[in-house]
Amino acid sequence: MNRDVNMMNPTAGVAANIQVGPKKVFITGAAGFVGQYVVAAVLRAGHEVLANIRAKTDVERISWHDHPNVTFVRQDLRQRRGLVDAVAPADAVIHLAAVKSGDFYDQFAGTVIATENLLWAMRSAGIKQLVAISTFSVYDFLNMKPKRLLDENSPIESSPQNRDEYAQTKLIQEQLYRAFAADASEVAEGAKPIQNAVTILRPGMIYGRDNLWHALIGAEVGGNRMLKIGGKATLPMTYVENCAEAIALALNAPQAVGQTINLVDDNLPTQKAYLAQLLAYTPEPPKLIPVSWFVMRSVANLAWWYNQTFLSGQAKLPGILVPAKLQGRFKPLKYNNNQAKALLNWAPQYSLETAFRRSCSALDLVAVPLPDSPEIPEGIPIQVGC
Amino acid sequence: MTAVLNPTAQALSKSTPKPVLKAAVIGTGVISKQHLSFLQTCDRAALVGVCDLSPAAVDYAVKTFQSGKGYTDYTQMLAHEKPDIVHILTPPQTHLPIATDCLRAGAHVICEKPIAPTYKEFKDLWQISRECDRYLIEDHNYRFNGPVRSLQALIEDGTLGEVQEVEIRMALDLRSGGRYADENLPSPIHKMPAGVIHDFITHLSYLLLSLMPHTDHPEGFDRVSAAWSNHGGGDLFKYDDLDALVISGQAHGRIRFSSYTAPDCFAITVRGSRGYAETDLFQPYLRCVVPRSVGKQLSPLVNHFYSGWELMSASVRNFRSKIMQRNAYDGLHYLLGETYAALSEGKAPLIGFEDMARTSRLVEALLAQENRL
Repeated sequence: MNRDVNMMNPTAGVAANIQVGPKKVFITGAAGFVGQYVVAAVLRAGHEVLANIRAKTDVERISWHDHPNVTFVRQDLRQRRGLVDAVAPADAVIHLAAVKSGDFYDQFAGTVIATENLLWAMRSAGIKQLVAISTFSVYDFLNMKPKRLLDENSPIESSPQNRDEYAQTKLIQEQLYRAFAADASEVAEGAKPIQNAVTILRPGMIYGRDNLWHALIGAEVGGNRMLKIGGKATLPMTYVENCAEAIALALNAPQAVGQTINLVDDNLPTQKAYLAQLLAYTPEPPKLIPVSWFVMRSVANLAWWYNQTFLSGQAKLPGILVPAKLQGRFKPLKYNNNQAKALLNWAPQYSLETAFRRSCSALDLVAVPLPDSPEIPEGIPIQVGC
Repeated sequence: MTAVLNPTAQALSKSTPKPVLKAAVIGTGVISKQHLSFLQTCDRAALVGVCDLSPAAVDYAVKTFQSGKGYTDYTQMLAHEKPDIVHILTPPQTHLPIATDCLRAGAHVICEKPIAPTYKEFKDLWQISRECDRYLIEDHNYRFNGPVRSLQALIEDGTLGEVQEVEIRMALDLRSGGRYADENLPSPIHKMPAGVIHDFITHLSYLLLSLMPHTDHPEGFDRVSAAWSNHGGGDLFKYDDLDALVISGQAHGRIRFSSYTAPDCFAITVRGSRGYAETDLFQPYLRCVVPRSVGKQLSPLVNHFYSGWELMSASVRNFRSKIMQRNAYDGLHYLLGETYAALSEGKAPLIGFEDMARTSRLVEALLAQENRL
């Protein structure tokens, strides 16, 4: 188990400074669910954006697509050809791109190999600042005691083979980040080597427009039915606009370099409270079948024991019947965002109620004012909604 | 031709009298899981090295399959590990240069299909293997799946009579997602002569040829006619549909590939002069309709009973297989097991020159302009 998660750069005699101020930022996954909001937050903070998207991505649906401070870079991170040239003009990189669907090998290519290629290109181009987006999924939920605090010093998963493909690939990705953080290169003869400046952010479940029904509520069982597992557990979540702002703040937070920081909002709701909000905004919700946490945990433990004892652990069971996967989603634990507030100077702007209201409104939440134009605090009305 | 056993490899098998061959793997994509899991458990193989361009992929494979040392340059791996056998699992366009280097380094080669994009390249590679006195083996795994071996037994023991028709039908929904439909970074297979169908045409061809009666025709078949279509259109897919007829003597063979029929299947039907048998390798069962000892009047009834019983039994077996993560690759494990057994004892492997040559010639004939509908 790795408990020293915040000691990425223990090497003595190296510097890991970043320059504070406007930057040119290469953002991967720029057109994705989180990426759209991160680009908007980075633009609003006065930076220029090199928005990395895939060859066939339609960008005209995103309102900042014609912003003068945005340049699109169509480059698939799964291949190296052209990548150094694409990254080279940037001062810093925010790495959001990851694959959450498909089999292990699809996710490995889209998450691990993409990261490996990106870091190779950064090394080749001499770009030293990386804001790396990880996930809460890397924590070892199974071996944590219930109702205890999960923070940045909690152990990370030591048996990834028992977790889903997403957790497995994100764990490997974090190893790559740490190897990159340990790099130090001499920029001039006799000068102190400059270490790469890496900040690893681990958001909890990111919710927002188009992603209000998520995996921490329950498990789909087909036919528009869902098992609602538990009800009292606190949900480690962050609203997408809050999260995007924290990621943007990391660009100019020297004190966050070399740190691993969890991102969760203030006043986290319980499953029950979140579901109440969700149902209020969902005209045709799925049929919910409540199952207590005790019952579900017992069933999963029994299935696990049977599999190990009689089937040599070879049976592939649904995720909710695998204790490590089940506990990664539903275990009751406590969370805080002290580190994020202290190191990023972050204060989550939107409460749960506001987040729902905005998500289900007709506002363009990624609207960005043109340079020298007045701020647009509430976004531009467009035809959307829940 | 005999397998040369490295003394170090032999030392690795102290616990068993069986000779052990040093194995190496090049390429860690999807199919590598099957090859590496076989090598992890095979008592005739010592996995000494894995190579891929991605260091992270190599690291993952080494840790997951306890596979000796990792490399990102296969020529270094060949020089340092001196493997007896190399599994080449890279895209087809790379097979010729990599296999050539492996053969010249003294290793037998097991290569994923298609072994070469054209018959000419296959012959060039075969010539090199002869010069190096090493075996070259293309993966014809589905020939050795349980139901296919059962079909072959029914043909050989005369249960089906003289084979008149063979149909190999594969349906895969390649258009609606997944790695083949990825327009952002198209799979290298799209550049092969048959486009994405080239990833499957080897399987369809060797299965057809192995179940049809042998012919004296030098090509291995008499006449071929093929309709290649791109029903879905667009630039990514060259073809997404194939309907081909192969005639060999009196026997008719049909190869069918569809991206549009549901559900996904890999169905094989063999019709003979006495009866027919069918299976689906994705949901394995074996239905056999032949004259029964109860006479002509009652045979249909008994056949229905047998078919019903087989389908019910198969539903239980397939459910268990799904839970236990057993998939359609049982033939690959069988083929690799027999290949390692043969090579370690200095015998010829299951897949020989004629198997690969006939398959490669059929693929070429299916693609030839003069044979197109």
